[in-house]
Formats: sequence, structure tokens, C-alpha cells
Amino acid sequence: MSNMTEISAEQKLKEAYFTASQGQLIWQRFKKNKSALFGAWVLIFLILSGIFAPFLTPYDPTIAGRDANYLNGAPQLPHFCDDNGCSLRPFVYTQERTRSMATNFRWVTEVKTELEDRRYLQFFVEGAEYKYFHYKVNLPGKALDFTIPGFTFNTHLFGVEPGMIHIFGTDDTGKDIYSRTLTAVNTSLAVGTIGVMISFVLALAIGGVAGYFGGMIDSVLQMVTDTVKTIPSIPLFMALAAFIPDTWSAEARFFFISMVLGFIGWPTLARRVRTHLLSERNQEYVLAAQLCGASAFHVIRRHLLPSFTSYIIVDLVISFPYMVLSETALSFIGLGLKDPVNSLGVMLQNVTSADVLLNYQWYFIPVIFFIVLVLAFVFVGDGLRDAADPYSDTKK
Amino acid sequence: MLEFLRFVLIRAFLAILTLILVSFIVFSLMEMVPGDCAERYVAFKSSQGVTITAADIDAERVRLGLDRPYLLRWGSWIVNAFQGEFGDSCILRLNIAQLLGQKFWLSLGLCLSSLVLAYTIAIPVGILAATSKNALLNNSLRLVSYLGLALPNFLLALMIMLFSTIYFGDSLTGLFSKEFRDVAWSWAKVKDFLGHAWLPVFILGWSATAFAIQTVRALMSDEVGKLYVTAAAARGVSGRRLMMRYPARHALSPIINSLGFDLNRIFNELPIVALILTLTEAGSLLIEALARSNDQQLAGAIIFMLTASIVAINFLTDVILALTDPRVRRSILG
Repeated sequence: MSNMTEISAEQKLKEAYFTASQGQLIWQRFKKNKSALFGAWVLIFLILSGIFAPFLTPYDPTIAGRDANYLNGAPQLPHFCDDNGCSLRPFVYTQERTRSMATNFRWVTEVKTELEDRRYLQFFVEGAEYKYFHYKVNLPGKALDFTIPGFTFNTHLFGVEPGMIHIFGTDDTGKDIYSRTLTAVNTSLAVGTIGVMISFVLALAIGGVAGYFGGMIDSVLQMVTDTVKTIPSIPLFMALAAFIPDTWSAEARFFFISMVLGFIGWPTLARRVRTHLLSERNQEYVLAAQLCGASAFHVIRRHLLPSFTSYIIVDLVISFPYMVLSETALSFIGLGLKDPVNSLGVMLQNVTSADVLLNYQWYFIPVIFFIVLVLAFVFVGDGLRDAADPYSDTKK
Repeated sequence: MLEFLRFVLIRAFLAILTLILVSFIVFSLMEMVPGDCAERYVAFKSSQGVTITAADIDAERVRLGLDRPYLLRWGSWIVNAFQGEFGDSCILRLNIAQLLGQKFWLSLGLCLSSLVLAYTIAIPVGILAATSKNALLNNSLRLVSYLGLALPNFLLALMIMLFSTIYFGDSLTGLFSKEFRDVAWSWAKVKDFLGHAWLPVFILGWSATAFAIQTVRALMSDEVGKLYVTAAAARGVSGRRLMMRYPARHALSPIINSLGFDLNRIFNELPIVALILTLTEAGSLLIEALARSNDQQLAGAIIFMLTASIVAINFLTDVILALTDPRVRRSILG
């Protein structure tokens, strides 16, 4: 009897394997890849902390949230214990900036480590307001403008009483680097998403047409694709970014940059779409659909695209870090995003000065976040690629 | 021989066609920048205290030939560009070819050396990684190539600057020492140049190396398992001789083919690394042209020349491949 159940259980397993959808199969293989799974967790963590950045960070990342008393301030790490004993609630010390004859009239920061100078960490404090789903819609004509109010909150995960806490330090205008870093993660993800979406649509359209129709159309489109691929993209991008007039708002700049990234990033994906279509379009099921009188668009959308959706998703994940890195590089040289918008490139703009290199190394803390972000994308992308390839097991 | 000649001719024709297409894209982009040369020049004049009328702008336009139709101007631009002549820069009022001259060749030299560096490391290491079963070696190489992507060149340059400033008190920037900057080339200057150039070459080569190792490894491991390798091994060929004579030769031809695109990737990084390390060559000139003065003539010339060198490399590698591989020669005719 037990033998019977064993057999039927085994059969069920087999059945589950053979009837599993492609998504389930990919997930099964992906789960086995420990480094990719770890990367996926890190990625989810970073995406969530990007989305909830305003809540997780204590201050406004723009100039409105500056700490005028703590410019170029070193990171303040919360302590639990010191010479005066321990406390369950972590605390930071009060810092006072003084200038006198004794310091040669330079501003000097003095850390006070006495018991009464402890400032304790508070949770769920009220602070600067932030909004979700808040949009101002600017249609042509004043009467048509309207604002979606969205939701307004003012609770932040942590803060100190009294004063401010800067766990990653502050920059030269006193903006909190921790708040800016998480906001920058958010910005980079948004730029990447818009860029990837645009290049995805372009790649699908151009690669789809080239692959499906083949022949002359294919040759011409391939020529164009190869040419666009030949032009070095960052110099080209720099030329495009220079068009942006200085008068544009930070948001308009942001959308323009993401769009340009998308318009430059399509050739690689287009090529892959074309190759897939070229090999698939001679299959019997395509012929069957064509004989039934389906239009080209219908055949591509309903029959051909689903045959390699998983590959497309993988390609999108893999191209994501390139978008993020290009944006960072551009903002870094001053042609991308500009100050009120935070991104890693914007934050790194002034770090090459000797003063920063020698004295304020905490400016480089955000770099760690970005290396982790890009690595997470690469690990997940690689894992997905291996998982989506049905022959990956037999190859090895 | 005749077949080979035909191949070279067709390939050269395709290369020129690509260049013409590129020039059209670049030229159109330059045209899209608001304002033209005449307006800039006249604006410069008026800042000097000369009063300017609309008629002056038009006259200047006629003088510069900007009143001609778009396609005609593109035609004359491309004809001049193929002769290495790009006209005058709008803002700097200097001849672009003169301005770029040595700087462009220096930066091309830097990029090519990084490419050479990348492959001298990547080919042996990649082959080794593909053929060895040492898990530690494989995993550490994997990590290095991931880092090559996650730590892009400009961040690496920043990090190197950070550490060298802290530990050596020198930020290692520039291409020449002060005393050599404006003197003619001499042996001492060459030595000084080499003493400075290794850092940008290393930084530019960094992610290229990581990518190249990945590619060589992947291509090699595809080939190693094939039957002809087993057959050769059965005939008694073994060890390094087996690897070099059979799978390596097959694996390396796609790499030669993609050299142009590797160069493209290095060009991408050049302007930013140049800016960080304050190198005074074409890359940072491009940034200056775009960011500070909006000088589209200069920017267009630089992009065109960068692309032209990539197309040239692509052409050369194709010819080299065709010399060594008869299948390539035939492929273009079919």
C-alpha cells in the first residue's frame, strides 16, 4: 500500500514537472542557484528601501533638509555603551562647533561625551512632510491644470531628540548623506525603469519587423542597427544631453535623460529579438496562423512573442544596470541630472577635489550602495539567464 | 585570391556606407542644437561692444554658408570630413583639425593600449579558466568579472585617487609632468609620458579585461566539449598543444570579430576617466565642447572621428579574419 502511494507521489511529481508552465520551470531552476537567490533578496531589499526612502530616512534630501550647524560633518554612529555606562536605547553625542583664539579662529567641531550630552535615538518621529501619488498635471491652458493630491505623511522611522542625526555624515551644504543615498537609489531605479521600457518598445518594434519580414527590410534595418551600435553611446549621449536648456526644471530634465537613455539602448535587444524571430517564423504554428488569415501584427504578438518572453525579461534585467551606470556617469560629469534631484552621479559631482579626498571620505559611502545594487542586478540577471535556458542543465 | 579581393572591396564599400550613415546621424544631431554658428559669433561680437543688427547675422550666415539647404551642407561636411578637415570651431575660433590633431592620436593610443592590455590578460586567463576544473579559480574569476561591471571605470578611477591621495599624498593625475607639458617630443618626455600613462591605460582596461575574460571563457568552454577535440585527444595530442591547436583557434575568431565593439566600450569610458584624471586629450575636450560652450562643430568632429576609428578597426579585423578563414571570405558573397 505504501509502495502504491510512493509511486503515485512520484507520478504526481513527474506530472507536475511536465505540466508546469514555463514560469514555474524557470522559478524551479532559479531557486537552486544560491547566489542568484541571494542577489534577488538584496535587490528586493534595495527596491523597497528606494520606494520607502522618505519614511526610512530622517530628513528631506534637498536643501530644505539641511543641517546648518553641521556642514561637512562626519558620520554619527549610534552607540550603546561608553565610559559612562550602557543604555538599551542607542544614542549619539552632542557636537558643538566653536571658533576662538585657541583654535586659530577656524571652526572646530568638539564632541561632548558627558552623560548629559547623550542624545537618544527616537523611533517613528514626526518630521518633514512627504507625499506619495502626488502629481501636478500641466496641460496646455491654465484652466486644465489640476493636482492629484495623493497622500501626505510626516512620520519617519528614526530621529534624535534634540537636534539631528547623520549616520552617513553631511555634505558641504549640510544635507544628510544617508537621506540623499536612499533617495538616489530611488532615482536610479526610476531612470532605469523608464529607459529600459523605452528601449524595450523600440527593440520590439524594430527587431520584430526586421525578423518577421526578413529580406530587404531586414537588411536595411540591420544596417541602421549596426550603425547606431557603432557610435560610442556616451559621447553621443553627451551631445544629446547638451541640448537641454538650463531653464528646464529638474523633473523635465529627469524625463529627458531617461528617454535619451532608452533611445540609445535599443540595438542589442533589437538584434536578439530579430534573431529569435528569424528562427521561429518558419515554424509550422506560424504558417498555420498565417493560413487562418491572421495579420502580421497578430502573429507577432499572439504567437511569436510568447515563445521567448522569458528571454526578453532576462535581457531587460541584464540591461538595467547599464542604464543606471550611464545615468551615473552622465550626472557625474554634470550633463545629466542636476541638484534638486538626487542620484549617485549628482552626489559624486564634487568629490574629486583634494579637500574631499583627504578630509571628507564619507562622501564615498553611497558608492557602496551602488556597487551592491549593480551587483545584485547582475547576479539576478545571470541566474535568470541560466534558469530561462532549458538546455543549461544538459550543457554542463 | 580573386575571392579575397572581392571580399575586401565589398567590405570596404560597406564600411564607407556605415560611415556616411554615421555622419548623417552626427550632423543631424549637431543641427538640432539650438542656435547656429552665425548667432554665436555675432553674440560674441556684441559682447565686445559692437552693436549688431539682424542683417549682420544674416550676412554672417551667408559668409559661413549656413543659408544653403540642409542636405547640401551635410554633403560638404562629409566630403571635408573624409579629408580630415572639419572647419573652424564656433566658440574657440580655431581650426578643429589642428586643435584635435595630436590629442586625438594620443587618446586613440591610450584606448588601443588598454585593449591590448585587456586581451593579453584575458586570452590566457580565459583559456585557463575554461579548461581547468579548479572551483576556486573559476569562482574568483567570476567575482572579478562581476566587479568589472559593478565597479565601472570612473568609480575605479575615483577609488584609486582616493587611496593614492591618502597613502601617497599624490593624486596621480594628468598625462605629463608640468615641465614637459608644452615642449616638443623628446626621449625624456616619452619617459615622463609613459610614467603617467600606465594609470589611465590600466583604468580604461579594467572593465574591458573583465568582459574579455568572460567572453573568452564562454567561447572556450563551448568549444572544449566538441567532438573534434575528443578526436584529437584520441589521436594522442594532449595538454597545451591540444588546447592551442584545436579549440583555441576556433574560439578566438569571434573575439577578433568583436574588437571594434570593445573599442567602442573603451571610448565610452574615456571622457569620464579623462575628466577625473584631468587628462588633456580628446575625451575631456569633448566634455568641454559640450558642457561649457555648447560647441557642436567640435563635438561632431570628435564623435565622427571616434566612430570612424571603430569602423576602421571593424574593417581591419574582418580582413584579417578573411585571410585566415576561408568560410568568412565566402559568407559575404552568398
